Amino acid sequence: MTKLIKIESLFVETAGKKILNGVDLEINHNEIQALLGPNASGKSTLAYTILGLPNYKVKKGKFFWGKKEISKLAIEERCKLGISLVWQSPPVIKGVTLLHLLESISKTKFNNKRLNLDSRFTKREINLGFSGGEKKLSELLQVVSLKPKLVILDEIDSGLDIKNLENVARVIKQEFINKGVSVLLITHSGTILKYLQPKITNVMVDGKIICKEKDCLKVLETIKKYGYEKCKKCKLLAN
Amino acid sequence: MKNVKNVNYWQIDHQIKQIVAIKGVIVLPILEAWEKFEWVKLYFKQKPQEGYFVWVKKQINFPLSTCITIASPNTIQELMNFLVIEKRINVKAIVNCNTQKNDLCGKHIARGKLILKDGASLEYNHFHRWGQNDLVNPDYEFFLEKNSNLIYNYQNLFPPKDLNLTTSIYSKENSSCQANFIINGLNSKINLNETIFLDENNSRGILKLRLVGRENAEISAQSKIIANAEGVGHLDCQGLLVDRRSNISLTPKLICKCNEAQLTHEASIGRISEDQLNYLRTRGLTEEEALNLITTGFLSCN
Repeated sequence: MTKLIKIESLFVETAGKKILNGVDLEINHNEIQALLGPNASGKSTLAYTILGLPNYKVKKGKFFWGKKEISKLAIEERCKLGISLVWQSPPVIKGVTLLHLLESISKTKFNNKRLNLDSRFTKREINLGFSGGEKKLSELLQVVSLKPKLVILDEIDSGLDIKNLENVARVIKQEFINKGVSVLLITHSGTILKYLQPKITNVMVDGKIICKEKDCLKVLETIKKYGYEKCKKCKLLAN
Repeated sequence: MKNVKNVNYWQIDHQIKQIVAIKGVIVLPILEAWEKFEWVKLYFKQKPQEGYFVWVKKQINFPLSTCITIASPNTIQELMNFLVIEKRINVKAIVNCNTQKNDLCGKHIARGKLILKDGASLEYNHFHRWGQNDLVNPDYEFFLEKNSNLIYNYQNLFPPKDLNLTTSIYSKENSSCQANFIINGLNSKINLNETIFLDENNSRGILKLRLVGRENAEISAQSKIIANAEGVGHLDCQGLLVDRRSNISLTPKLICKCNEAQLTHEASIGRISEDQLNYLRTRGLTEEEALNLITTGFLSCN
């Protein structure tokens, strides 16, 4: 079976600093994977590299979209292929309403009601004065409208209260998982994993994926018990 | 221009194409008004040749509109426009000055006098659209009498090669004004001089500039508020530089001649952040589309 995305031995630098040190990752069609790791372990760098952000220089390694090598492709071209990112800290775009952006990028007619959003919400300027929960929903709304094949959710669970977290998880299930969209859940706390049960949970430390495990709860328990610093020594890694 | 049948004054090159009379509003070529009304002569040093005269004597319930166009190559317009709003009348005006083609090398010189009598209110929406070789030089004066209110919106998203825009607002007791200038400087040399004079007590004025410098643009803005009496004024000047070949110079100036006046200003010139560009590109927009969206957003900021 052809992989949706396949990353081989990826080395990435940003601002002259080595961040990723040989990452291997494969995600199939209709598959949820998680990427756990402490702060500054390289999780977001991996996301930005997959998206093609110019400040993230691929020094070595390849990545394939199906059979196509895409490491030279421009950001917007990757988006057109079906790769989308829910940003952890999206920037403010003053004077541009969320509605205006959605109308510019939407592949289909979007529907506020499906995401439990007040219609006034989309008339606000993008990310200006948004609460943590509103930012996440705005991001999801944009990504849903792009009809992606792979969604990378960067720290989607950070800074959310339980009600917002449940709502976000519901939207992810409804709009992506139930529709066969592949998902890469990047999280350092792992809070969202109990709602979404990934097929594979990857652990990244120091720019390298050091563990791949099917049972996400087992990984979370291990991390809770030993912390990320001791992750390299854990029994799961040995397996 | 669309829907020209409703335009009150429509001029192409030097020819008046249409004047639409309305009950309570006198619309004339300026030369005719100059000859007909002695008091008009007080406002002009020279005999005017072309331009409009609009005198609103009664309340109207729809916007006034004018349109002055350059349609032939090398046309030089020297306009004198005159608008008078009588006491306690509220008016909205839509004013278009433009070119029909991008390469006509026209020259548009306009002197405007606008008078708001006691308690009058005017929203003056002034749209410019020019070609890349046009030279444009408007000089507008607004006279705000007691208790009057002006909102002046100047928008120029298609600037000429050279734009020299001068605006002066004279404010009497208890009058207020807000002047907003939105200019997308594309490969263009732009010089702005705008001044609010707070001449009598309790006059209030806000000057707001949103200027974008793109594609070799050279923009210079001298914005002033002069308080000659107890009044309140604020300058808000913001520039956005889109590329390295453009430059913007902002000079906000506050002159206070009355110790009970309160004047403030804020000014900044920024650039588009890479984060914003990348963010929009991850939504499938090209770099050019992302730049245009951010620029449009900046120019539409309230």
